Amino acid sequence: MSETTTVEAFGDGFISALCPELMLFAGLLLLIIVPNLGRGTFRIRGTQIRVPWLLGGSRFKITSDPRLPAWIASITLGSAFLNVVYIFSQGLERVVIVSESGKELLLVNGFSRVFEMIFFGALALAAFSSMNRLQVKGIGAHVSEHELYNNRRQADFYILMVTCALGMSVVALAQDLFVLFIGLELASFSTYVLVAFLKESKVGVESGMKYFIVGSVASGVGLYGLSMLYLWAGSLQFSVLSVAFAESGTTALPLIGIGFVLVGFGFKVSAAPFHFAAPDAYAGAISPVAGVLATASKAMGMLGLVRMLLIVAAPESSDGSAVWLACLGAMAAITMTWGNLAALGSDNPKRMLAYSSVAHAGYMLAALTAVGAWNWDAAVSGDAGAAAVAVMTALLFHLVVLVAFKLGAFLVLSILESEGGASRLSSLGGLAKREPLLAVAMFIFMISLAGVPPMAGFLSKLLVIMGIVRIAVGDMGAEIADGGVFVLADMHWVWWLAFLMVINSAISVFYYLRVVVVMFFDEPEEGREGPLPSGWQVRLAILACVLTTVFVGIAGDALIRICEMAAQSLNYGW
Amino acid sequence: MASKESAPLVHSEWMQFAPLIILLPMMAFAVILFLGHIFNGHPFWKKNLKEGGLIALPVMAASLVLSLLLISEFLKGNSGVDQIFEQIAWVNTGVWNGGSMIEPVSLGFGIYVDHITVMLLFVASFLCLLINTFSIGYMNTDPINDNRNHRFYAEFVLFCSGMLGMVLADSFLWLFIFWEIMGLCSYLLIGFYYERPSAASAAKKAFLTTRIGDVFLMIGLVMLWDLFGSLDYAVVFATENIDAVAAESAGTLQWALGLMFIGAVGKSAQFPLHVWLPDAMEGPTPVSALIHAATMVNAGLYLVARMFPFFGAESLHGDLDDLAFVIASIGGITAVMAAAIAFVQMDLKKVLAYSTMSQLAYIFTGLGCAMYLANTLDWHHNDKDHYIVIVAFGAALFHLFNHAMAKGMLFMASGSVIHEVHHAHHHLHHHDDHHDDHGDDHHDDHDDHHDDHFDAQSMENMGGLASKMPITATAMLVGSASIMGLPLIGGFWSKEGIIANAWRVAQNDPRFLLPAMCVLIGAAMTGFYMSRMWFKTFAGKPNNEVAAHVGPTNTWIKTPLFILTFVTLSSIIFAGMGFTHWASDTEYSFLSERNLLDGIIYEMDHAFANSDIFFFILTYIAIFMGAIVGPGLAMALYGGKLAEGEEAKPWMRPIIALSAWFNDRFHFDNTALRESTLATALENRLYIDEYYDKAMINIVAGFSNKVAETDAEVIDGTIKAIESGSQSLSTIVRSMTTGSARDYILMVAVGTLALFLLIWGVA
Repeated sequence: MSETTTVEAFGDGFISALCPELMLFAGLLLLIIVPNLGRGTFRIRGTQIRVPWLLGGSRFKITSDPRLPAWIASITLGSAFLNVVYIFSQGLERVVIVSESGKELLLVNGFSRVFEMIFFGALALAAFSSMNRLQVKGIGAHVSEHELYNNRRQADFYILMVTCALGMSVVALAQDLFVLFIGLELASFSTYVLVAFLKESKVGVESGMKYFIVGSVASGVGLYGLSMLYLWAGSLQFSVLSVAFAESGTTALPLIGIGFVLVGFGFKVSAAPFHFAAPDAYAGAISPVAGVLATASKAMGMLGLVRMLLIVAAPESSDGSAVWLACLGAMAAITMTWGNLAALGSDNPKRMLAYSSVAHAGYMLAALTAVGAWNWDAAVSGDAGAAAVAVMTALLFHLVVLVAFKLGAFLVLSILESEGGASRLSSLGGLAKREPLLAVAMFIFMISLAGVPPMAGFLSKLLVIMGIVRIAVGDMGAEIADGGVFVLADMHWVWWLAFLMVINSAISVFYYLRVVVVMFFDEPEEGREGPLPSGWQVRLAILACVLTTVFVGIAGDALIRICEMAAQSLNYGW
Repeated sequence: MASKESAPLVHSEWMQFAPLIILLPMMAFAVILFLGHIFNGHPFWKKNLKEGGLIALPVMAASLVLSLLLISEFLKGNSGVDQIFEQIAWVNTGVWNGGSMIEPVSLGFGIYVDHITVMLLFVASFLCLLINTFSIGYMNTDPINDNRNHRFYAEFVLFCSGMLGMVLADSFLWLFIFWEIMGLCSYLLIGFYYERPSAASAAKKAFLTTRIGDVFLMIGLVMLWDLFGSLDYAVVFATENIDAVAAESAGTLQWALGLMFIGAVGKSAQFPLHVWLPDAMEGPTPVSALIHAATMVNAGLYLVARMFPFFGAESLHGDLDDLAFVIASIGGITAVMAAAIAFVQMDLKKVLAYSTMSQLAYIFTGLGCAMYLANTLDWHHNDKDHYIVIVAFGAALFHLFNHAMAKGMLFMASGSVIHEVHHAHHHLHHHDDHHDDHGDDHHDDHDDHHDDHFDAQSMENMGGLASKMPITATAMLVGSASIMGLPLIGGFWSKEGIIANAWRVAQNDPRFLLPAMCVLIGAAMTGFYMSRMWFKTFAGKPNNEVAAHVGPTNTWIKTPLFILTFVTLSSIIFAGMGFTHWASDTEYSFLSERNLLDGIIYEMDHAFANSDIFFFILTYIAIFMGAIVGPGLAMALYGGKLAEGEEAKPWMRPIIALSAWFNDRFHFDNTALRESTLATALENRLYIDEYYDKAMINIVAGFSNKVAETDAEVIDGTIKAIESGSQSLSTIVRSMTTGSARDYILMVAVGTLALFLLIWGVA
C-alpha cells in the first residue's frame, strides 16, 4: 500500500490529485463559453468605436455548429476517463485533501478512482452517442428538427452531463458526509433535468417530474438522517463517525440516522421499495440518459451505501456482523425478486431494462450484505478478510462491467428511439434483418445481462456468487479439511442470498432472451422495414461496449486486479 | 513420455502463437458466414472471393505455417524437451469434493505438444489446406452449390479448427469440447444438401451414431476425472499420479479407458459403430476427404494414441492388456469386414469409404498391439524391448500419416473423376436436350438410388479414363498402391510394421492370433478391392458414352493431387528419417541416429531382409498377398486395354497392359459368385444397419415415446405452470407501479418504516 499524502485544498499536489475533476471543470467552462462566441461587439459609450469582445452577436460558423457542445463534452469526459485509466497504469497514490482546519474533505485512492472510471466512462459514452441522437421524431410534427438541434439547448444538455459527472466524482472522493451530500445533490439535480430534458414530450416531463418528487423526498429523508448523525456525533467526518459508531453505535439516534440515510441511497440504487419512480424515469428519459441512470447513477448510490455501511456503520468486531445486516439482506432479496418478476411481463424494453437494473441492484445489495456478515475490520489482515475483499472486488467489478452491457443495451434502443420510439418490444422486431451487427450487439448485451459465459456479465455474477458463498462458508472450509463434517445449517444465512441470485438469474434469462427472439425471428413493425437512422458515433460507442463486454468476459484479470486493489484500499487506513 | 518425470513447462518462441492455429480458422468461420450472409450473390464475392473459399485458404495456410513453425521448434528441442506446455487460465474456482475438502479447479485452455500432437497437427493442417484448395475447384464450379458455398467454407474452417484444437488441447476436457465441435460440423457438412432426404438422414445417422460413442466417452472421462481429480494431461500423465491410481484402482482405470475407446470407435467408424461412415458419402466430396483423411476419423485414433502413457506406465504393468486386446480385435474384425463389403460396392466413393474403415482398423490393430507390448514388456529398462515398443507405436502412427495422405488424395481424385463425369454427362445431355430441367437434373445426379437417372459416382459409368485424366489417374494409382501396401510406396512401410507387430504379439499371447490373421487376410483383400476400383475406373474401354467424353480437370483440383502424389511417393524418405521412432518417443530425435541414406538403407534392409526368419517369411507372405494375389484377381476380372486411339501416360501403360494380359489369360465368370447369398449380404452391409433399425424402432423408439409423453405432461406441465404463475405474479408486481408519484412516496414511507422495524428488531 502506498503512503498517504496529505494535501491542503489548493495547496501543492492538489492539481495532480484532482486532475480529472479539474479537467471536467475546464470542460464545463468551455461548454458555457464556446457556443456563445460570436462577432459580438461592444460600443464604447459616446463614441462610435466598437470593440469586438467575441461574446454574443452572430456566431461563427464553428461555434454555431449544433454538435460542438457534444464534441466538447465527449472530449472532456473522455479525457477525464483516459486520465483515470492512465493513473491506474501509473500506480495509485493515496492523497487526502484537508481543509485549513485539518478536516478531511476528499480522499483520492484506488477505490474512488474506480468509481471515477465508472462515472466518466458511462457519461463519456452517453455524451458521445447522443451527439446526433437527441430524439427528433415521434414528439409531434410541429417540432422541427432544427428547433431540437438548437445550439443552446444542446449546450444545456451537455452542461448537465458534465455537472453530473462532477457531482458524482465528488461523491466518490468525499470523506465528509456533508461534502458527499452536496456531490450527490449536484449529480441528482442534473439527472432530474436530464430525464425531463425533452420538454416537448409529455412522457418526458411527467417522468422527470415524478423522478424529481420521489427523489427529493428520498433526499430529504436522507438529509434528515444526516442531521441526526450530526446531532449525535457532532461531526459528519467519516473518521469521526466511524469511531463514534464503534463506541456506541447501537443507540437509537445513530440507528435512526443510518436508517434514514439508507432510504436516501436506496432510492439512488433503486432498491425496492424505493425504486418505483425508476421505471417511469427510464421509460420517459431518452435512452442514453436512462443508460446513465442505470449505470453511473446506480454506482453512485452503491458507493454511498458502501461508505455509509462499511466505513461509518462498520460491522462490529465482536460477533462479526453488522446491525443493518437483516435490513439489507431483506432489501436485497426483495429487490432482486421484485425486479425480475416485474421485468418478466414488461412489454416496454426500456421498462424491462429498468426492472432488470432493479434486479441487478438486488444482486449488488446481496454482495454488500455478505460483506456485512464478515468482520470487516479484520479484512485488513489475514486470510479471513480475503473473503470480504473478494466480495467487494466482485461488487466493484460488477459495477464497472455493467456500464458496458447495460448502457450498451440502452444505446441500441436509442437508435430505435430516434427512429420513432422504442416503447414496445415489437419495435425491436426484425432488427437482425435490418441491421445484423446491431442485433448481434444487442444479443451480446442481453446474454451478458443474463450472465451467460463467456460474457463479462457471467464473470461478474460468478464472482459475486462465489464471494457470497465463500463468506457464508467462512472458516468451515478449514474445519472440514481437518476432519469436520459439512452441515448446511452451519453456513451463514447470507448463503441463501446467493441461492436466490441463482434462481433469479434463471428467471431473468426468459425476458432477456425474449428480446433476442423478437430481434431475430419476428418481422419488423409496419413502416420500420427500412434502414435504421444513421449515426456513426452511437455505433462506435456500442462497438466499444461490445468489445468491453466480450473482452472482459474472456480476459478480465487486469480489471479484477484493479477492483481488488480498490477493495483493499477502501479498507486500508480505517 | 510416461517414463519421464512430470511434464516440464516450456515457453518457446512459437508457442505463444499456437492458439492462433485454432483461433484463426474459428474467426474465419464467423467472418465467412457473416460476409456470405451479407454479400450472397454479389459478383465480387462470387468471382474474386470464391464465396469465401479465398478467405478460408489463406487462413488455413497461416494455420499450416504456424503449425510447421511449432513442429520445427518441437523437433529442434526434441532431445531435451518432452512436452511443450502452456496454459491460459480463465476461471479459477474451488470445488467441494466428497464433502471433505476444497480443491482448486482451474478452467483454462492450454496448448500441449508432444510427438503425437506434432504428427496429427501436421496431417490435419496440411490436408485441410490441400482440401481447401481442392474445394475451390470442386464446389465453386458446380452450379448446384451456387450462393451457398459460404456455408460450406464456414463449416469447413470450423471443422478444421475443431480438429486442430483437439490435437493441441492440453486436457481431455478440451479434447472432448473440440471433439464435439467436429461432431457438429460433420453433421452440418454431411447434410450440406439437406434438401435431399438421403443427405439429411445420413447426417442424422452420423450424428447419432457418433453420439452413442460420445456418451461412453463422456462417462469414461468422468471416471477418469474421478480417478485423477483432473483431466489435464499434465496431471493425468504425471508418473506419480498414475502410480497412485495404479496402486488402488487399476481395474477402474481400464474401464474408464475402455469406455473412452468406445468413443473412438464411434468417431473412427469401427465395428460396431461403423454404420454412419458409408452414408456420410452424401456430403460433397471435399467433405468426404476432410472426414476421411484430415480430421474426423483421425480423432478417434488420436484419442487412443493419447492413452499410451497409461499403457506404458511402469506401475500399470500387465494391468491393461485386456483392453489392448479389445482394441486390436475391434481393429482386426473391422479390417476384414469393411474390406469384404468394399468388394461389391459400385459407388466409387463408397469403395473408398469402406477402405477408410478397413485402414483405420489396421491402425487400431497397430495401436492395440503397441499398447499390449508397452503394457507387458519391460520396456523401461530393457533397451531391446524399448525399441520394439517404440517401433510398434511408431508404425501405427506412421500408417495414420500414410493413410491420411493417400486417402486424402484418393478422395480428391475420386472427386475429380465424379466432377468430370458429371460435367461430361451434363454437357452431353445439355446438347441432346434429354433433360429439360437442369435444376432437377443436378439434384438427382447425386442420388444413386434412381436407376433411371444417371449416377456420376457409379463405376458402371466410368472406365478407360486413364488417358483422359492423366493426373487424376496417376494420383489414384499412387494412392491405391499406398493403401494396398505395394512395396516401396507409401503405406507399405507402415503396414508391414503393423502386420509384423500383430504377429509378434500373437507369438506371446495366442489371443492375438485373431487380429493377426485378420490383418494378414485384410492385406490381400485390400489389394483386391483397391485394384478393382482403379481398373474399373481407369482401365478398359469406356462403359458408356458419357465416360468417353470426360475431359481433364482444373488447376485447383490438380494442385493438391500433384502435391499428395509426391508426398505419398516419398514415404520412404520419412521412413528413412526414422519417422517410426521419433513419432513415438523423444529419445529418438529427428535424424538423430543416422543420416538419411543410411536410414533408407536400414529400412530397406529391415523390410526385405529381416534377420529373424519368422518375420522374413511373414513379410514376403504379406507382400505376396497384398501385391500379387489381390491385384491379380482384380486384373483378371476387371483389367483391359484402353479404347482404340487412346494412349495412357507411359508410367501407366505397363500396368494397363499387364491388366489386359491378366484379363485375357485368367478371366473367369464370377456371376455365380456375384449372385451368391454372401454377395447379397455384403451388398446389404451384412444387414447390420437393418438390425440396428429394428432395434431402434422396437426398443428405443418405444421407450422414447413413453419419455416424450411423460415430458409433455409432467415436465412441460410443471414448467408451464411455473411460467404462467410467474407471469401473473409479474402482472401483480407491475400493477403496483401505478404511475402516480403519490403512491411511490407512500411506498417509500412504508419501506422506511419496515427498515426501522428491522433495525429495531436486531438492535
